[in-house]
Amino acid sequence: MTAELPPGLALQKVDERIMTLNVGPQHPGSGHMRLIVQIDGDYIVACDPDPGYVHRGEEKMAEYRNYILNIPHLERPVIHDSCNVLYPYVLGVEELLGIEVTERAKYVRVIASELNRCIYTMYWLAIYGIFLGHSTMFMWPAGDRELLIDLMEKMTGARVTHAHFVPGGVRNDLPANFEDVCLRQVNYFEKRIREYADIFYDNPILISRTRDTGVLSRQDAIRLGTTGSVLRASGVDYDLRKKEPYDVYDELDFHTNVLKEGDSYARSKIPWLDMLESCNIIRQALQKMPKSGSVRVKLKPNPKGKIGSVYKRVESGRGSLGCYIVSDGKPEPYRLKMSVGSFRNLIALPYLLKGEKLGNMPSVYWSLNYWPVEADR
Amino acid sequence: MSVIAPQFKLSEFIKSLLDNAFWILFLMVLVGLPALMIVLFVIELPVIDGELLTPFLAFTAIVDPTRILPVIHALMATDIFRVAVFPGFGFAALLAAGTIFAERKLLAKMQLRVGPFYCGKIEGILQLMGDGLKLISKEIIIPAKADKPLFWAAPVLFVATAAAFVSLIPVAPGWVVADIDMGLITVFAVIGFFPIITILSAWSANSKYPFIGGIRALFQMVSFEIPLILSLLGVVMLTGTLNLSEIVESQSTFPWIVFLPIGAIVFFITMLAELERIPFDLPEAESEIVAGWLTEFSGMMYGLVQLGTYLKLYAFAALFVVLFLGGWHGPMVVPPFPTEILTEGIVMGPVTAQIPGLPLFTQDMLNGTFWFVLKTVAVIFFILLPRGVFPRIRVDMLLSLGWTKLIGLCFVNIFIALGLLYAGVLGPGGLQ
Amino acid sequence: MMSADKDKAAEEKPAAEKPATKEAETAPPAPKNTKSEPKETETAPPAPKDTKSEPKETETAKPAPKDTKSEPKETETAKPAPKDAKPEPKETKPVAKETKPAAKTDEPELPAFEKGISDKLVEKFGDKVAVKFVKKDRVGIAASRDNVHDVAEFVRDGLGYDHVESVSGVDYPQDKEIEVVYHIGSYTDPSLARQILVLSTRAQREESPIPGNDATKLPSLRDVFYSVEFHEREVFEMLGVYFEGHPDNRRLQRTLR
Repeated sequence: MTAELPPGLALQKVDERIMTLNVGPQHPGSGHMRLIVQIDGDYIVACDPDPGYVHRGEEKMAEYRNYILNIPHLERPVIHDSCNVLYPYVLGVEELLGIEVTERAKYVRVIASELNRCIYTMYWLAIYGIFLGHSTMFMWPAGDRELLIDLMEKMTGARVTHAHFVPGGVRNDLPANFEDVCLRQVNYFEKRIREYADIFYDNPILISRTRDTGVLSRQDAIRLGTTGSVLRASGVDYDLRKKEPYDVYDELDFHTNVLKEGDSYARSKIPWLDMLESCNIIRQALQKMPKSGSVRVKLKPNPKGKIGSVYKRVESGRGSLGCYIVSDGKPEPYRLKMSVGSFRNLIALPYLLKGEKLGNMPSVYWSLNYWPVEADR
Repeated sequence: MSVIAPQFKLSEFIKSLLDNAFWILFLMVLVGLPALMIVLFVIELPVIDGELLTPFLAFTAIVDPTRILPVIHALMATDIFRVAVFPGFGFAALLAAGTIFAERKLLAKMQLRVGPFYCGKIEGILQLMGDGLKLISKEIIIPAKADKPLFWAAPVLFVATAAAFVSLIPVAPGWVVADIDMGLITVFAVIGFFPIITILSAWSANSKYPFIGGIRALFQMVSFEIPLILSLLGVVMLTGTLNLSEIVESQSTFPWIVFLPIGAIVFFITMLAELERIPFDLPEAESEIVAGWLTEFSGMMYGLVQLGTYLKLYAFAALFVVLFLGGWHGPMVVPPFPTEILTEGIVMGPVTAQIPGLPLFTQDMLNGTFWFVLKTVAVIFFILLPRGVFPRIRVDMLLSLGWTKLIGLCFVNIFIALGLLYAGVLGPGGLQ
Repeated sequence: MMSADKDKAAEEKPAAEKPATKEAETAPPAPKNTKSEPKETETAPPAPKDTKSEPKETETAKPAPKDTKSEPKETETAKPAPKDAKPEPKETKPVAKETKPAAKTDEPELPAFEKGISDKLVEKFGDKVAVKFVKKDRVGIAASRDNVHDVAEFVRDGLGYDHVESVSGVDYPQDKEIEVVYHIGSYTDPSLARQILVLSTRAQREESPIPGNDATKLPSLRDVFYSVEFHEREVFEMLGVYFEGHPDNRRLQRTLR
């Protein structure tokens, strides 16, 4: 490599003991990214995450589409969690446009958001299972996820990419007797995911593998700015649904799951506990939801936002998800930036993997609740 | 109107038929007849019913198919049959194929799915054949910087070693390919080849992930061979022989698992590790090192390694049966061969068919094979079961398990065996 | 409810690795521009359609396109000294601010808590910071590139914020500037859990950037807030803002040319 390298890039002379592994992007244990891992024997001496392989320019695309047209493509970074991904954007646009949403629409949003959180977490859990070599834990969540996907299909008409949230409410009202179906399926879903403890979370081999690996202390979790399950597994009680309640979360009774250990096991358990809590939230919301009413405020065509900026955050499946919209008074946002939990948690990866064994790499990596496509946006 | 063959001409069709007939005759005269002569003159033909099997006798089988039975009898007595068909490779490969199918369906049932379903109409029974055809038809890619002779040789060596292992297993009384006095030692020797082949193939691929996988496999196999060998010492002490057939014979009243359960458990765990089954599949841990030492294999090279793996699986399960579960011993469930067929022949109305050469297999052999296969399948089931239940463990946990806990348990097992021997429970004056 | 000692410990580590750049604040580039009341020049970047009539929380200091003061700054790289110091309004600014959109009138009916935060900042830094908006749960301040490091340190040590949620680069081609916006939050202080401090700063924009020799430079806040590490790398990759002092300032994706 004789070419002049930019200052950010430097060729590194490595010790002969050190072997550099390119884990990804073509690797079953990496997702759509690359981890440049340097190992000394079985120990990782350095890890350099290399995201960006699935960068799709969502933020730049948003600058050329008006506030309504942005909806279908902004949910693409995490299609399994599409409602939550759209949530901060919709909240921000509503503030820019000065819309007040009806009560029923807020409840419908909360239900959809919690269902989506479960759908995402099941997918994440499936991959966590297969990363640890537990193929049953890959198949069970992938199958049970279908319950909720069917629910979302009834609700929104699409199985995965719903595009359900719009500024001013949700796109469609709930179908007839949705409440009963939802209650039944969510109850069964909760019963089903409680069984995961037997085969996965109480499995002695799993516990011995993930306990005390990749420990992120409380102060480091704060310092690194991690979020979501990573933060709460390290003992920080911070859930935006509690701390900064949006829509009707302040009217619902739920609790935040916090574990003190900060290891891979705690990080992998928090999303599962959150799913149980989500079932609770869904049941409450179904009960408290106004039984009738409009779910959508009619907007003017091509609405223009006020000049200014807005930053809204919600708690997504991967933690705090913020959307920073700068408006210049045009129908399109001047700048849209998504602050995603995956990207914020990624910073902890080289920190956690340093000194770990190579065998712990998949469990630590995926316990960060990381979704490469979301991190790249 | 659809035209299937628009260029069809009857004259050319007839010409092609005639061409084929000409070439067949031509080759038969020039090649087939000399080859037949060579076979007849050079190869020693078996003696059937006191007379040599001449070509004329062989051709009479065309009009009387029952005359083929003595020939089969004679064939079954040859070594080549034992090696290739019954106690050897063919039998093991059949069980291995059944194992693959059972593994997929079993795992699918555990995971609330259906598994192979469409290929072959009945529960996807032909899926394995489809996979095999796919593997055969795939291109074989050799890494550019690979050490090519070693890389080519590794899968073949792997299958050959697994087949050598299979050849040591006695399936039924007298039915073993290689009945040698040092049978168990030979088993250890054959098992000792696997880490060498693994590290050779991993090294020759000249790639990082196979290298790490090969190192892991080496660690794993070497550290688990010692408890593997030690756990079998108890059986050797109690039986006083290393011949596997005699070990089976010694269990005619009770299997050794009754007295040596710890040894059996340790052997089962080490077996899982040697086989790289799921709690110990670190050499192929896909989320860490892509496919371990198999990463660079493609096409039928990978297929050969898989075949060898499942042959090895069968061989280990059979070894467990032979050493701890009593081998072919079991209650006689196969009915005796009806003697009236031997004496009177098969009477079908006015016709009475006298079939010389029956029965093909003795009652003991059929019964022994039945029990052996039943026990082996049960052991294979327990080998497959952890795959649906456990995640993969880590290499340091694996090594500490192998070097400390299992070896300790092995010594406990040896002391149990010695205690049984010296207390007179077993051996002279004891139960046996 | 939060254990204070842990919070303290959380603050110790970044503080320890912060370089001794305190004295850099002795020479601020005197951003005392002539427009004392930034309200009249406040236009959104491309679209000057600023209808003040409706209640919005317009950020005043953001665009300021006709702020043509370009005094050379004393910074490290001898770049052509752009107009780096963005309009730094005085502390009279927050009074002139509007409130969140829920407010009915232009009457500065500011949320008290958020107002307290901005007041503390203004009290500490005077006219070196500009309060861009104060609304519910959000406080927006702007600082010049020379002051942003000190402001960030004060935000961390004096106000109790502890992490950066998002670093956004916003391109303003009309102003020939790139704004970098830090959204700073707090985990340790329960009273700040809802709050986001929006700290923005601006750097001069290159017309024809040379990759590898970026002239758009800003001081890195990585030694203040560890959590900006990857965010700043992302801004470097997307907008070419080179963060000086960042220990690992590569583009996010390692693509060797």
